Amino acid sequence: MILIAIVIGCILGAVIGISAPMIPYTYSGYLAIAIIAALDSVFGGLASTVNKNFDLKIFVSGFFGNAILSILLTYLGQKLNVDIYLAAIVVFVGRMFNNLAIIRRYYLEKWTNRNQNQTQEQTTGEEK
Amino acid sequence: MQKEKKDYIVMSIIIGVVCVILLAVMFMQFKTVEETDITAIENMREVELRTAISEWKTKYEETAEKLEANRKLIKDYQEKIEKNEETSSLIDYDLKESDMILGKTDVYGEGVVVTLEDNSECKVTYSDLIELINELRYAGAEAISINDARIINMTEISQPNGVMTINSETRVHSPYVVKAIGNQTYLSSTLNLKDSGFIDTCRARGMTIKLEQVKNVPILKYNGEMKTKYMMKGEEKE
Repeated sequence: MILIAIVIGCILGAVIGISAPMIPYTYSGYLAIAIIAALDSVFGGLASTVNKNFDLKIFVSGFFGNAILSILLTYLGQKLNVDIYLAAIVVFVGRMFNNLAIIRRYYLEKWTNRNQNQTQEQTTGEEK
Repeated sequence: MQKEKKDYIVMSIIIGVVCVILLAVMFMQFKTVEETDITAIENMREVELRTAISEWKTKYEETAEKLEANRKLIKDYQEKIEKNEETSSLIDYDLKESDMILGKTDVYGEGVVVTLEDNSECKVTYSDLIELINELRYAGAEAISINDARIINMTEISQPNGVMTINSETRVHSPYVVKAIGNQTYLSSTLNLKDSGFIDTCRARGMTIKLEQVKNVPILKYNGEMKTKYMMKGEEKE
């Protein structure tokens, strides 16, 4: 069910995105930072799913809140002539790597566990 | 069981919506980035900036030149204005001076007042007044009036049918008060010359004549029109 929703959402989003009008270049910087924030939330969500403590409220609020906050910070930085978006990128990308590492470890563990089980089964079978 | 299923559906929908939003925004961004081609823009921008800078520089120089020229113009104009003011004030002064000389303004100053009066013995004639004016002018009188009729350069004194007129319209009667502005001493001494002087000759004829030296003689302006008809300015023309 969730997978279907994700697939349909992705296709729909892609279609909408392609057919949507182009944004002015000035605002594409804000959009990029918002995308990074959203992606960070998505990876965070994936990681929490893997850890089995996924909370929809936290995910949705993080998804939108981070995006909006990062846009606001970028805007503020532009007003102050400080590249605040760099800090946002560093934080978000760092967290993304952390989350990716969690996911990777989980699946690696799972994989190694399965391999071990298989070998154990094989060895037990041979013993039998 | 039912509630869990509902929650599950809601979660799926929300995640789907999130995916829609994320993908839509991402693709929009991709499109924007692709179509604007950041590196090309950066390069172009550098070149553009350079050209823009040089353009602005030339523009600035042009504007500065224009400003300088305009400033010069303003300065010139100001000088001209000052000059004009000078000339106009000079002209004004000249005008006032010539008005005064011509008799178009009231004047006052030191001078003499000569009073001629008819009596049973002798009557004052126009030739007496003309002679008196001539004498006064000789003595350096700057302004003369007879009974407050200003004597100007075109003044004539005539006596048609025994009526004395000055400037062909002003009638004057005895006593004739002749005021003259000028050096008091010169005026009075010229008139007072022994035997041959104006006063003595008049007295010899039996005329009543009185000479006063006055510190402040007021002489009124000429009220008539000053018209020239045949006179023309400049050199002789064929």
